[in-house]
Parts: sequence; structure tokens; C-alpha cells
Amino acid sequence: MEDRIVEKDFGDLAVNMGPQHPSTHGVFRLKLYLQGERINKIESFLGYLHRGVEKLSEKLNYDQLPPVLERDDYLSPTSNSLGFVNAVEKICDIEVSRRASYIRVLVAELQRISSHLVALGTYGLDLGGALGGGASLFLYCFREREKILDIMEDLTGTRFHTNINQIGGVRYDIKSDSISKINKLISDLKPILEDYTNMISNDEIFMKRTKNIGVISKKLAEESGGSGPILRGSGINFDIRKNKPYECYSEFDFNIPTGQNGDAYDRTIVRMKENVESLNIVQQIIEGIPEGDIHSRKPLKSPKLTRPPKGSSYFSIESPRGELGFFIVSDGTSIPYRMKIRAPSFSNLSLVEKLLPGTFMADSVVILGSLDPVFGDVDR
Amino acid sequence: MRLIKIIKNIYRNLYFTLSNVVKPAVTIKYPQEKRIFPDKLRLGTFGLTSDKETGEENCIACKLCEKICPSEIIEIDIEKRDGRGWAKKFNLDLQSCIQCELCVQVCPVDAIIMMKEAEKPTTSRADLFLTKTKMMRNAEKLEESWAKGSILQESHSPNLGDKND
Amino acid sequence: MFNSFIEFALPIFKTISILILIVAYLVWLERKVAAKMQSRVGPYSVGYPHGWLQPLADALKLMTKDDSIPKNSDSLLFNLGPVWIMVVSLASFALLPFYFNNPMLNVDLSFMLFIAISSLIIIGIFISGWSSNNKYALISVLRMTAQIISYEIPLVISLLIPCILIGSLSFGEIIRYQEDTWIIFYPLLGQLSFIIFFISALAEGNRIPFDLSEAESELISGYTTEYSGIKFALFYLAEYVHLFGICVLGSIIFFGGSNGPFFSSNILIVIKALLFFTLILFIRWSFFRIRIDQLLKFNWVKLIPLSFAGLLLACLLKYYMDFSSL
Repeated sequence: MEDRIVEKDFGDLAVNMGPQHPSTHGVFRLKLYLQGERINKIESFLGYLHRGVEKLSEKLNYDQLPPVLERDDYLSPTSNSLGFVNAVEKICDIEVSRRASYIRVLVAELQRISSHLVALGTYGLDLGGALGGGASLFLYCFREREKILDIMEDLTGTRFHTNINQIGGVRYDIKSDSISKINKLISDLKPILEDYTNMISNDEIFMKRTKNIGVISKKLAEESGGSGPILRGSGINFDIRKNKPYECYSEFDFNIPTGQNGDAYDRTIVRMKENVESLNIVQQIIEGIPEGDIHSRKPLKSPKLTRPPKGSSYFSIESPRGELGFFIVSDGTSIPYRMKIRAPSFSNLSLVEKLLPGTFMADSVVILGSLDPVFGDVDR
Repeated sequence: MRLIKIIKNIYRNLYFTLSNVVKPAVTIKYPQEKRIFPDKLRLGTFGLTSDKETGEENCIACKLCEKICPSEIIEIDIEKRDGRGWAKKFNLDLQSCIQCELCVQVCPVDAIIMMKEAEKPTTSRADLFLTKTKMMRNAEKLEESWAKGSILQESHSPNLGDKND
Repeated sequence: MFNSFIEFALPIFKTISILILIVAYLVWLERKVAAKMQSRVGPYSVGYPHGWLQPLADALKLMTKDDSIPKNSDSLLFNLGPVWIMVVSLASFALLPFYFNNPMLNVDLSFMLFIAISSLIIIGIFISGWSSNNKYALISVLRMTAQIISYEIPLVISLLIPCILIGSLSFGEIIRYQEDTWIIFYPLLGQLSFIIFFISALAEGNRIPFDLSEAESELISGYTTEYSGIKFALFYLAEYVHLFGICVLGSIIFFGGSNGPFFSSNILIVIKALLFFTLILFIRWSFFRIRIDQLLKFNWVKLIPLSFAGLLLACLLKYYMDFSSL
């Protein structure tokens, strides 16, 4: 009897995690080639959120650009305009007053906490499901974040895109009742954030799902161009706020948490510990804010726009995702000749090709969530 | 032992979520309850002010707000009479406004300001296209936000010393 | 002849209508409990102030949705899937002494027959996932089949332990045995078998932490991806009917059935089942989910040997008790 049933190899099953998906953190298309439950090969497609910000910057003035650039990395908007404004001040050689610098760092650190809370909340959604324990973690993180957004609204008027940075200083000033509100926020948030860190880092199912998944070795982290919590999760002690301090960070006293193995667990724990350090910085700012003016050039009254001299400069800051850099070439007019943004999420996302093949399909979501990409930053 | 750790973990998780049951909910049940807006609110519509004593419009149609807007939503037509400029047509397309408040900061006579009321949802696009009469009516009826051109520019002047509070 | 037909059909009609009403409000209860645990308010606007008309609004919405069948699918199996699951789940309620004094089908082996009928549900899930002609549904249904047939073994064995100690497989005997104390207070075997039963009940009902194939964030919606309208409502209700059946089973075998702490009546079965269901809800909204290979490994390596050990212990104890008194 000859064999009628012939084993035919059908190849890999191609599954498409398309642009609309509950857990790709944005618009991102990822094609997985599966063999059973293991991933053999991936293909990724970017560019669904490209808005042409760098082309738009060849038409707008230097003074009009900070509100537009805040839409870049939309989870921590002030860090974008902070980097841009510092780069322009480097060409023009403007010195910012200390009070303005303190206010900028205050808003930037508060937004760092809010961005890390969003990263943790959506990570809970990936791990636990939209109907389940993940949803509880998501809502708790967003409930704490509402307190921070209320402070933003009290300081500047909107909850999110604050538009507080301008070339030469800041736009709004802090009054004394805002300072008492921020004190109350710190005393409310500190025990809660430490409690969350404790609970998540000892959770059995969380450890089972994230330990030894997506391990980035030290060598790979250094060669890949990743930055931010990805470097620090693998044990490399590098932070732009300490190694190349900008604004007034050299006056504050804070630690840099690092991980050991470089897996998804370590990266999440590094982010949660950074929250507590940011609260320390906010407390030091509130206690030591100096008197002074908040702007150091003539106000935007007469039609005198910023005209930097000819030259170019590069300035990079530590955003919650990594190293965010601005390279500006100016030719003496009030419109930049070329502005290039070095986006941290773009370089971090390129690690996906090395990390995903060989793992389970259920782990692909865990790895993508621990890299924390924001697609406004990837596609600009 | 590992079993004890697992039991402790289950107990801690359950305690954390169940202790939320006795706390009050944070939802604001709109439209029965409404949220309190802060002073500096930047979400709302625009208004064109007039002088308090004489009642004539403040806007001198200098076109500074038209030039500084990043989204290019303002359109002004100028008309010169009686030694100063008047705005014949002042259109503002509220759909594309990114609420950056640069137009308020730039105005030399405090003419354009933002109002302290969130936008009401409408069913036709014509309601979101503000004309001069609509904006003048807004300035009379609604409450004003804190930010005005003169206040912002005065707090920005360097060498203010200790006038901050 | 018409009289005998009414005599036959009336208890069925009464049970099904009460059951559907209870299950529809179980959905409301779940949404309210989940909202309380997350410091928000659940449904409140339909039937202000507590939203008790929400199930009616959901049912009306689902009835008016477009009912589409994918192009290359097998339309007979596609339409049969939800109907099969609902019919089998409802049929297993014929054996439970749910609302009346005697169950509708009073046999000696009622417990075994319950397990046998409710294990036909996996066929309905499989044919609905297969006939959807969709890769996501296929992967999800493969995972779910592996999970459900693996976890039936500890479910049956952990329920056999009390039956061996009691000496009978019929529900009437089990309830009569627990007039003094409940099975869960039995020295070691009561608690051990309850824990194994609880874990397998979570896995059989596809509840967190064993829920990887259903409401997952990787494969959108699992085997119900292509369904919309009234068929989706049937899936949803059938899942709750099956889960409620397991809760009633647990309350009969472990918590005494109609013998309450102070008084005994038939309504206590439903109340205890609701309390058990609330415990399952608390577990659902507090934990993450585990991966499929960790789930299966846990079952075959840890849970099944433990349940067999418990069964062996129960047999030895019963032998010792029966033969030592002779």
C-alpha cells in the first residue's frame, strides 16, 4: 500500500499585526512569519504617521516652531521644545536666567513622570488584556497622572501641550499658590509610586512573563544606537543629565537607576525607579527656586523675530525615551535653513529585528512594549 | 518557600484592588456635574475686545497675529479711517487652531483674547468658523481668561527685579 | 396529548427564562464590580442612577447590527457554532437542582453526566473558529482546544474526591450528606480538592489568569472575530451560562447546596453560586495572564500529579474507614 497522505511543508504562516492593532502602541505594521508558535522572521513597515515636520521647519520662523514641534513626541511634549530652544540659544549665545531654567526643568521632570506612567499603564494592558487585571493597572496609572495634569493646567492653561518654552526664557511664571499645590502633589504621589514599584517588581505573573524575555546584552546595546532606559537596563551607566549636564541639572542631587540583565523586567523597573528620582528633583526645585526674571531678551512685541547668526549647532537632551537631538543650520534669516531631529524611538525600534526572531508570538507584544516606542517620534 | 511567596503575592494583589472598592469614584458625571476650569484656560474660543469707556473696538488691524500664527488661520482686511486702522474683516478658523496663544502674546493693544469656556460640540462646520461679529459677541458674554498681551509682555521684560508674584 | 406536552415543556421553559434573566444581569454585575475596583462608575446613564436597563440596551443594539458571513467560509458550520454552544450549555442545566426541588433529569450518575455534556462545548468552539477562515481565529482556537481538554482532567478528578468520600455520584445524595458540615471543612482533602477545582474552573471558563485564547491583545478577539450581531450575543451569553453552571456545581458539591449556615432552602444554591461567581470576578480584575506554554506546563507537571495524589489518599481513607469498622 503506497502512502496516500504525503507530508507537505506549507512553509511559515504569515500573520499580519496591521496598522490598526490594540497593542502595537501606535500605527505600526509588523508581519510575523510563524512556525507553530515560534517566530522565524519579521518584516516591519513604518511611516504611517509621517507629517513632514522637518520640511515644515523650512517655512516657519524660529518663534513659531516650538508649539509645532511639541506634537513630535506627544507623550512628553515639553522635552521637544526644550531641546529646540536650547539649540537655538546655543547659536545665538543667549544666556537664560536661573529662574527660567528652574521652571523649564520643573515642567520637564513632571512630564517625565507622566510619560513613564503611560508606558507602565499600557504595558499592563498588553500583559493583562483590555478586560482583566491589565485594565485595573491602566486605570490606576492614569488616575495618578490626572493629578500631574491638573498642575500643568494650573501653571499654563492646557493639560498637555504647554508651550511654555520660548527662545530666551519661559512664558508663564509660578505664583505661590501653585507652589503649595506642587508640594501637596509630591506628598501625595511619593508613597503611591513607591508602592506601585514594590508591587509590580514582586508580582509572580509579571516576573514569569517578563524575565529573560528580550535580553539585550551590553555589547548589543552599545552597538545598536539605543539610548535611555534601554541602555540603563543593560547595566550601562549613561545619562545625559549627569554626563553632559544642560540647563541647571548640575545643581541637583539625584541617582541613576540601572538594571543587570537587560531583559524586559529590568527596563520596566528602571522606568519606575526614575519616577521617584524625578520627584526628588521636583522637590529640590520647589525648595530652592531663585528670584529673577523669566525672559532675557526683548519681548515679542515689536515685529522683531529671532535672527541667529550664520552657523550650525547640535544639542541633545534626555527625553523619557532616550537621547533627543536637534541639529540646526541657520543662514542669518529668521527661518532655519535645515533642522534635523535625532529621534530616540526610531533608533530604539530598530532593535526589534534582532530581538524578535526565535521567541514566542505571545512575547512579541511584551518586547515591543518594553522598548516603549512613540510613533509620533519615529515617523515625525 | 516559593509556595508561600505565591500565596503572599495573591493576597497582596487582591488587597490592593479590593481596597479600591471602598474609596469614592473619581468620575465626574457630565452633564449633571461640571468641572471647574482654571484661570489660564486655553481651550476655548476667541473674543475681540472693545474699549470699556468709549465702546469702540480695540483692534487696529496691525496684522501681527496673522503673521505669527503657525497654522495660518487668521484673515484680516484693513481699512484706514480717522487716523487709525480698523479691521473690516476678521476671520478665524477655529478648526485648525492649535491653542498656542502666540496671537494673544503678540497683540499690542489687548484686542484678541481667549475666553474661559470650553468649545461646545456642534453639528455644522459653520459654527466653528468665527467671524468678527461672533467674536465681539463672545467678548461681551463669556468670561475672559487670564492671559492678555500686555500682561504677558510686561512679565517678560528683562530686569524686572523682584516684581514676581 | 397537549396536556402531556405542556407538562413536559413547562419546567424547561421556566428554567430557561429564569436562567437567561440571571445571566443577563450577571453581565451587569460584572461591569459594576469591575468599575468599583477601578475607582470609576460603571453603567449609570441608561436607567439612571445605576444603569439597570443596560443589558436591555445592549441586546437591542446587538439585534440591529449587520449579520455578515465571510466569503470563503463554510456557512453551515459558521451558523451552527454559536447555536451549538448555547444549546449544550443550557442542556447541562437539566441535571442541576437549580430552582426546583428535583432536577429535571434525576439519575444516579448525574454528576458524571453533567461533566460529559459540558465537555461537548469544545466542539462548538472549534467549528466556529475553523469556519471563520481567519488566521487569528485559527490560532486562538488551537490554543483553546489544547487548554480545555488539558484542564478537564484535574476538574473531574478533584470533583471525584468528595464523591468517593460520600460514596455516591448523584446530587441528591451529595446534598443530603452535607446536612451537618460542608465538604470544604473536611480536614485535608476538602481544601485540597477545592483549590484544584477552583483553578480548573478558571481554566475551563476561559477566565484570567488562563485567558490567553480569548480576549487577547495579540489576536484581537480570538474565535469570535468574524461574528457580529445576535451571534456574538449568543457567544457572550453562552460563556456566562457555562461559567454559572460550574459555579452552581461548586456550590452544590463544596458548599452544601441548599443547606445553609442557619436555614435550608432552595434559593441558597443560587445565592452561594453568585458569591462564588463574585470571587471569580475579583480574581479576574486583579491579575495578569500567563502564556500558553507556561499554562500547559503547569497543568501537566504540577496539577495532575497533585490531584492523583489526592485521589489516592481519598481512596485509602475510605477503605480504612469502611473496612476498619467492619
